[in-house]
Amino acid sequence: MIVGDLKPIEEIVSSISDFKKILVVGCGSCVTVCLSGGDKEARELVRELSHTGYYKNDPPDFSHSTIERQCERDFLTSYLEIPKDTEAILSLGCGAGVQTMANTFEPLPVIPALNTTFLGASEEPGVWQEQCRGCGDCVLAFTGGICPVAKCAKSIFNGPCGGSRDGRCEIYTDVPCAWSLIYHRLKKQNNLKFMTEYREPRDWRPGGGLGPRERRRTGINGSPEHSAPYPVERDALEVGT
Amino acid sequence: MQHFQVNDRCNGCLACVQNCPASALDSVDRGEKRTILHNMARCARCGTCWRICPQDAVEFKHLLESDWDEVATLNLARCKVCGETLYTKDFGEVLSEKLDTKVDSLCPRHREELSRLASVYFFPGKSRMKMGEKR
Repeated sequence: MIVGDLKPIEEIVSSISDFKKILVVGCGSCVTVCLSGGDKEARELVRELSHTGYYKNDPPDFSHSTIERQCERDFLTSYLEIPKDTEAILSLGCGAGVQTMANTFEPLPVIPALNTTFLGASEEPGVWQEQCRGCGDCVLAFTGGICPVAKCAKSIFNGPCGGSRDGRCEIYTDVPCAWSLIYHRLKKQNNLKFMTEYREPRDWRPGGGLGPRERRRTGINGSPEHSAPYPVERDALEVGT
Repeated sequence: MQHFQVNDRCNGCLACVQNCPASALDSVDRGEKRTILHNMARCARCGTCWRICPQDAVEFKHLLESDWDEVATLNLARCKVCGETLYTKDFGEVLSEKLDTKVDSLCPRHREELSRLASVYFFPGKSRMKMGEKR
């Protein structure tokens, strides 16, 4: 899921203090589950931001709402009610949610209350760890299900760097070396052959090297009959195919 | 409360069933009738059914806002003096078992008051502490 963290309260206050009436919007998906931007957090944020001590003048007038997913434009237009005279929206969604709202409700300013941090999974209650960078060309089949892009501090692709010591990373010594984890996992799977197989240099274009990524699925209402070949080439997108 | 609801414009075309990415919709034809089925445990609330329905028949708002379902109803334990709600009787039993002692149904205020009265009774002259006083 997408994991986010609440921004420092002072930063939020400074970005909203010019507005008189603010709608705080929680998101009911990823950030609800990672306890940073759901309905509960939206209510708590309204309570916190209503303290007069944060402001030179009167605090803004707050209302709050939560929508299942902020990143769906038609959910927003159909089901998010914006109270009259709202001057800004404070979003507890991820970056995708904030931008979808900003595009949908333009010119109303949409201000992020969260920092979108990573794609992660919960290892134990209350703990989320980064697992994926969305690089667009998944290698987990060859790395024992452990991602070297997300879990190696240097995102090294062909084995550990020279700084790996006793299974620890040289940059962050409190975290394991991703390639050490990969080696031991592959050994358990009798798949160490993956460590020695030759692979072509990685193509980073599907990982965002061609600019913002877009995917089109066929057969969905309004989508083209034939999808662009994978990966979507930038020049193909520019001519609208 | 049924979360997936359609209005009377639904004509049973099955566009929603065929396009549901979570396989949360199905249909069954029995005799002269077609029934649309929905499985809330599978539903991702993605809205594809609502977007794709050519009849505009899916009342998606019921999947976003709905009433509370009653899950379980249990007996309450209350303070035997003032009647304040404490916890459920089942919870009290588990607590007694874990602490290996009988837990009296008393709110914190009356527990303290009864302890004070008991000390006055059993150790007259030694304990004159009143509620709220510090030792």
